Amino acid sequence: MAGTGTAHLRNAADTLLRVENLVVEFPVGRTGLKVNAVSGISLDVLRGETLGLVGESGCGKSTTGRAIMQLPRPTSGSVSFEGKELTSMGGDQMREARTRMQMIFQDPISSLNPRRKVRDIVMEPLTIWKRGTKADRDQRVDAVLEEVGIDPQRAAESQPHQFSGGQCQRISIARSLVLDPSMIICDEPVSALDVSVQAQVLNLLEDLKARYGLTLVFIAHDLAVVKNISDRVAVMYLGKICEVAGSDELYRRPAHHYTNVLLSSIPVPDPSIAVQRHPIEGEPPSPVLPPPGCRFHTRCPAAEDRCAAEEPQLREIGDGHFVACHFPVHGGDAPVAVRSSSSAG
Amino acid sequence: MTITADPVLSAPPPAPADTPTQRPARRSIKLGMWVGVAWLAALALCTLFAGQLSFVRGYDTKLKVGGKTGRYNIGPGTRAWMGTDSSSHDVFARCIYAARITLTIGVLATVIGLVLGGVLGIICGYYQGWADRLGSIVTDSLLALPPLLLALLLVYRMDDLNKEYSWLHWLTREWEITLTLGILAIAPFARIARAQTIALRDREFVLAARSLGAKSSRVIAREIVPNLIPAMLTVAVTGLGILVAAEGALAFLGLGVQRPLTWGKMISDGQRDLGRAWWATIFPCMFLFLTVISFNLIGDRLARRFDIREAAI
Amino acid sequence: MSLNVSQAATRDSGDPLLELRDVKTHFRTPRGIVRAVDGVSFTLDRGKALGIVGESGSGKTILSRSIMGLLPPKGAIRSGSIKFEGREIGNLGRKKMRDVWGKEMAMIFQDPMTSLNPLMKIGKQIAEPLKIHLGMDNTSALATAERLLQDVRIPEAHRRLSQYPHELSGGMRQRVMIAIALACGPTALFADEPTTALDVTVQAQILDLLEEQRKDRNMSLILVTHDLGVVAGHTDEIAVMYGGQLVEMAPTRVLFANMKMPYTEALLQSIPKIEDPSHTRLMAIGGRPPDLVNPPRGCRFAPRCPYVREKCENEMPPLEPAESPGHVYRCWYPVGSPEYLEFKERNEQAAAAGADVPVAIGGAA
Ligand SMILES: Nc1ncnc2c1ncn2[C@@H]1O[C@H](COP(=O)(O)OP(=O)(O)OP(=O)(O)O)[C@@H](O)[C@H]1O
Ligand SMILES: Nc1ncnc2c1ncn2[C@@H]1O[C@H](COP(=O)(O)OP(=O)(O)OP(=O)(O)O)[C@@H](O)[C@H]1O
Ligand code: SF4
Ligand code: SF4
Ligand SMILES: [Mg+2]
Ligand SMILES: [Mg+2]
Repeated sequence: MAGTGTAHLRNAADTLLRVENLVVEFPVGRTGLKVNAVSGISLDVLRGETLGLVGESGCGKSTTGRAIMQLPRPTSGSVSFEGKELTSMGGDQMREARTRMQMIFQDPISSLNPRRKVRDIVMEPLTIWKRGTKADRDQRVDAVLEEVGIDPQRAAESQPHQFSGGQCQRISIARSLVLDPSMIICDEPVSALDVSVQAQVLNLLEDLKARYGLTLVFIAHDLAVVKNISDRVAVMYLGKICEVAGSDELYRRPAHHYTNVLLSSIPVPDPSIAVQRHPIEGEPPSPVLPPPGCRFHTRCPAAEDRCAAEEPQLREIGDGHFVACHFPVHGGDAPVAVRSSSSAG
Repeated sequence: MTITADPVLSAPPPAPADTPTQRPARRSIKLGMWVGVAWLAALALCTLFAGQLSFVRGYDTKLKVGGKTGRYNIGPGTRAWMGTDSSSHDVFARCIYAARITLTIGVLATVIGLVLGGVLGIICGYYQGWADRLGSIVTDSLLALPPLLLALLLVYRMDDLNKEYSWLHWLTREWEITLTLGILAIAPFARIARAQTIALRDREFVLAARSLGAKSSRVIAREIVPNLIPAMLTVAVTGLGILVAAEGALAFLGLGVQRPLTWGKMISDGQRDLGRAWWATIFPCMFLFLTVISFNLIGDRLARRFDIREAAI
Repeated sequence: MSLNVSQAATRDSGDPLLELRDVKTHFRTPRGIVRAVDGVSFTLDRGKALGIVGESGSGKTILSRSIMGLLPPKGAIRSGSIKFEGREIGNLGRKKMRDVWGKEMAMIFQDPMTSLNPLMKIGKQIAEPLKIHLGMDNTSALATAERLLQDVRIPEAHRRLSQYPHELSGGMRQRVMIAIALACGPTALFADEPTTALDVTVQAQILDLLEEQRKDRNMSLILVTHDLGVVAGHTDEIAVMYGGQLVEMAPTRVLFANMKMPYTEALLQSIPKIEDPSHTRLMAIGGRPPDLVNPPRGCRFAPRCPYVREKCENEMPPLEPAESPGHVYRCWYPVGSPEYLEFKERNEQAAAAGADVPVAIGGAA
């Protein structure tokens, strides 16, 4: 198998979302080349769980999130949500399914139509699906706006640009809530916000999650933020998954060399702690021609010959802790594959 | 402002840079727009109320010298500001009346181009894939032929159709020219609508609407079209100027409207006697020129206001 | 670089490099006067790194632009004194500032994507200031440019000279921006949120690079950011801004060990910390930053402060020195004072009783 494996998938009864071998490719102009944005990712999220997805810019986090929503449909792979396969669904069925999962985007301002009133924006999902009477809808919208801390009166009179970034993010959260979804995919919802506003939004998400029993997929490049909100974290590099573990476990005992790098890059708000750096040089390689074998081998401090030749598969090295690395920081080297490694990058 | 000017400012500060060097340019663009608006407003007033205005003679009034009409018998002066033409009509009055038909043709053609081109562009940009390829073939082929040749073909073809089918009797020369110009305008409008739609399509608020389960038609009507309007209007204004000029070019090639005259027809009629009576050509030219320039100036200003890149047009 | 050697001599006199006294920058707007920077005073020594932190809209950018003389020409009213190397630069015109920019002070901006001229090769963009300010000829300017690119750790520096900005990644472009800013060997470098648009891994690299270059060149660095975490490891001193005012300033270690201002404390507590277990409740600052047209009469933080008392609402606290040298703060009831402790206990009891205090998620923020 050419992916990084599915060993980490659980066979629990209350699995809400299960993604297997998701591949998304974009053509590069008319050159015949393609951007390997996501190359065989597998994930699962249980009901009520928060899955964090971290990685550098361009590693395919947003593409994964959008492919789960089928916007656009993935090149290949399977996405099963609430027990139903989304990739083979027809247009109308898919529209219906999308009401059960929602997405919040990074740029709070550009995710709201600049030419409409905020209240109408939040009302839109109810209008599309013609839910309830006009009075029911009004009531619902007001309730949700109150819940996220936006004055409904002001929302009726104002356009998005009249609100601050943090408020716009609350408005998009309100919009994603009115249809009562079971899962929300948050694509870097706090990256564009100030630290203090970021804390408000993270707290709000935690509160709403508890109140509505939501399941979250939380995408971010900041490991500290992801750790704060997630139960389980998947680390991505160049379209592949490197490591999956419970969030406390991942921080305590990172096994993949790339996770180590990410962790040591976090600025520590305490000058008395001397940070132990694992600096990496250079930039991530182009996703058009990704390196063969382990995609991280061009920058990995522990790379050996085997890393360039053979792609590591995800394997369990601890309770619920999975890593795709031949020579991880801990957990023992991967057994040499019995089959000859014909796996392509 | 570039590095050459001051190295530290290798980037202009994000605050709207209102440096002294930029100000005169911006002001002259603003001024230009107001000159354009003033000209068009004056023209529109004269045209609409031509019958009531004492300084505009009737369309068919002939000016006589010594009780007789004559070819170009009066030059520009106090009796007739812009002289008379080959059949003794007042050139000024005719220019005013010609504005009616010229502008009507221009506006109708623009609307045709805007609607058809807009729809085509939005469909191509939004659905992409085979719809886009098909649409691109249409626009590319419209753009590949020399526009005047295409116009000639279209007008002659419509002439034939008109003769063949009696139910096409309404297809007079005016309509033929309007339709032809409208068809010519489709491709440019389609191009800009497509480019803008592609840009909007991946904006997050459009994705958000789609992820709410909105139908494509709703996404287009609610999210995309309102955000396309500024750009399309800007192009429409500039395009109107171009279409007015194109009508002139068609008339010059002998595809003019017979009656009432258009500026183009007046110019093409007058130019044979340019040496003898320059005024019968130069003044309609002036009207045409000022109008085209006015539309351009207004279009420029709108483009700046809405930040629309020329490359897209 | 040779130019550094000649300048280093002038750099080691005793007085501070930068001295601000009661600097105010207000803007005339239709809504009224916006007090973007409202009476800031501090001094900065040569070769030191100063972090300016605060929420969005607290006036960090306007303060650093006021010092550099880069304010928008429309509607800005500036007063107070800014001394740079003992010379008053607050009232110099744009023409005179040109000699200061680049050679004495340089700036790098937040967005590396829009800060470079997209139509000019990298080499030319770096060489240009060298030719203008230092009168270098083309060949030596390009050679210096290549060395600068090596200094900022850009691999294959020679090849990059003839590339255009769009051929580089965001992190690379920010490095090029730094190279341009360093080109004429400035005495002070202003970095306005230099890493906000970048990834964590790249952010760490850029911050390390800035620190290394500052030490190598004995240059002062003013690092503007909203993230206390960013400045903690890379500055000697930190100035905290709130509502256009300086509310606390101290050497970095002193500030973190012994912060006085409740706002600084709140700012620090709102950052998710990697050592905390997941789902740790974050302390958010409720409410909104003050309206700079009609700022609160007393302490500007009073409407959001969990320790507010009547005095805070009526009287503006002065900037007072704390025990350790170089530490000043602006608060009537600083962290650790009996009044502070009393209210802290009260808030904790209220929180235990289920009320959403002391620092609630921002209500109708
Ligand atoms: N529509 C597209 N066409 C072509 N390439 C694309 C497209 N969308 C994304 N890509 C490419 O796919 C890769 C993954 O992009 P993606 O946006 O998923 O990254 P990301 O991890 O979300 O990064 P960021 O943190 O910057 O948001 C990138 O190399 C990107 O350039
Ligand atoms: N040209 C201007 N005219 C009027 N008000 C202005 C102008 N420029 C800035 N302001 C106001 O001055 C205040 C301070 O702005 P400044 O850009 O310094 O904030 P900041 O601390 O840098 O915030 P951020 O973190 O968002 O960059 C803001 O309230 C802003 O609205
Ligand atoms: S497989 Fe090899 S290159 Fe990849 S992370 Fe592990 S040690 Fe490094
Ligand atoms: S002066 Fe009062 S309101 Fe202001 S920070 Fe201190 S305790 Fe809070
Ligand atoms: Mg993304
Ligand atoms: Mg700023």
